[in-house]
Amino acid sequence: MAARYDYAIVGNSAAAINACDAIRSVDREGSIVLFAEEKYRCYSRPLISYLVAGQIESKGMYYRPSGYYRSMRVEFRKGARVEAVDAGKKTLTTADNEKVKWRKLLLATGFKPFIPPVPGLEDVDYITFVNWDDAKRMLARTAKPARVLVVGAGLIGMKAAEAAEARGAEVTVVEKMERVLPQALDEQASRMVWERCREAGIDIVTGQGVAALESTGGGKGKATLEDGGEIDFDLLVMAVGVRPRAELAEGAGLDCPHGIEVDEHQRTSLEDVFAAGDAVSAMDIVLGKPAINALWPVAALQGKYAGLNMAGREVPYPGCNSMNAVEFFGLPVLSAGVVNPPEDGYEVIARRVDGGDYRKVVLQGDVIVGMLVAGRVERAGILTSLIQERANVRRVKNFLLEEAFGHIHLPRSVRQERIKETAAGIMKAGAARDEGV
Amino acid sequence: MIRIVPREEYCIGCRLCEIHCIVQHSRSKNIIKAFKSERRPVKRVEVEEEGHVSFALQCRHCEEAPCVTACLSGAMSKDPETGAVVNDPERCVGCWTCILVCPFGAVRRDEAERKAVGKCDLCPDLEVPACVANCPNEALLMVEE
Repeated sequence: MAARYDYAIVGNSAAAINACDAIRSVDREGSIVLFAEEKYRCYSRPLISYLVAGQIESKGMYYRPSGYYRSMRVEFRKGARVEAVDAGKKTLTTADNEKVKWRKLLLATGFKPFIPPVPGLEDVDYITFVNWDDAKRMLARTAKPARVLVVGAGLIGMKAAEAAEARGAEVTVVEKMERVLPQALDEQASRMVWERCREAGIDIVTGQGVAALESTGGGKGKATLEDGGEIDFDLLVMAVGVRPRAELAEGAGLDCPHGIEVDEHQRTSLEDVFAAGDAVSAMDIVLGKPAINALWPVAALQGKYAGLNMAGREVPYPGCNSMNAVEFFGLPVLSAGVVNPPEDGYEVIARRVDGGDYRKVVLQGDVIVGMLVAGRVERAGILTSLIQERANVRRVKNFLLEEAFGHIHLPRSVRQERIKETAAGIMKAGAARDEGV
Repeated sequence: MIRIVPREEYCIGCRLCEIHCIVQHSRSKNIIKAFKSERRPVKRVEVEEEGHVSFALQCRHCEEAPCVTACLSGAMSKDPETGAVVNDPERCVGCWTCILVCPFGAVRRDEAERKAVGKCDLCPDLEVPACVANCPNEALLMVEE
């Protein structure tokens, strides 16, 4: 007879753990079982680059203190891969053939690396750079001087490059687009990051794809670029992109052409099946439609709302937007919403400040829809909150690019409402949205 | 829990709150040493000023704190006892995600020793937070809720 749980959670990262916390904030008694595919207790994937670079130790990887599962009374199934979900019978089955019944299920299955079909890749012992095991492999294979080739200059690729450089490796990055971090950053910030990387000794080749790979054994090999150039490597990192891991959801009967679709309560179209995190397409406030924002803070927020709703609190997910906080070689860059306006109808105001700082705001009519701040980033969150609120910023437009831009520039009534209400109330009050700021 | 409420009609923009905040979070808690010889901590309160209007603002210790949910490392948490939003410098890696999501601009980079952030901790060792206690004009009030 299979054990029955009030809550079953598939996944063990940002969405899953925040869902556990949220469930327990409402329901102290209900039974929870959590399935973790990896053999680790919950750790922070974005920290693998810090680990490889020697900025933190292994114990700094953990997202929650040891004893977390016990203290939350969560049955933790370590190294248990869920193979199938039967949404009709409300059961799931693991690879080890454990079968459990559930009343509410959360799919927090995350993302998987996208591996392009490059001729010869199947013979090369490459790594991706998305989990702790990848970090361990990079540490092992950069213990001696190594030539590291990173394919893809997105966030994962550039963090892999920076980490490898910190290990003393000779690093080359190859990117198909014309610049680094083409999605997360705009052209100006891209150039600033590229400059820092070049100063640090990272070689970046843009506008080039890898046409073929050849293994020379032991993970080593040679890449041939589209222009015929050749790069020898001791370690290959494939970081071309990520895709939602939706196989389990599809197997349960959900159609997931663009990630797992959910309603505003993080519910899928299957009864009592919820989903949250990097596998999910959920409301993007700036785009005004569902989108996949495979980012830690977004996954955490979705997990929190999934958990609250699973436990019976009817609270809608407030929505999020594409937001990034990154730093490369001492240059912090924060961004939110639209940083590369796709078409006409947007207004961009931007300013470079002496000393290497850069600030940019993107407007649609009088509504702030995007921002990017590099250098002195301290107060950028005020812009993020106005974006999240879809604030009309007509009256403060002239101040938005000032480093000191803050509540002092908002009308007194809006300012006092925000300060009084704290962050939870900002969205609720919508003071800046309704009155304009 | 306690909350610090700014009163802009009384703030004269003297920035003593900033100075005493820095002293309180310094190693020696001595004003001369904090400013002249020790590593100077970041201020955890900031005076905003424009024309005749000014006020001091620090972390609001939000009920649903965006920085706690967004934190990559789990360093930022809300103390269930005091309601204070606190950052554990041992676990903070300095990823700046809290800075990205703080609607008040109340979190600062603090990189003097290692990469981490600094923010208002409501002065747990004091009965009244340093900024409130040292405001000459009662422009910062401590309110028990």
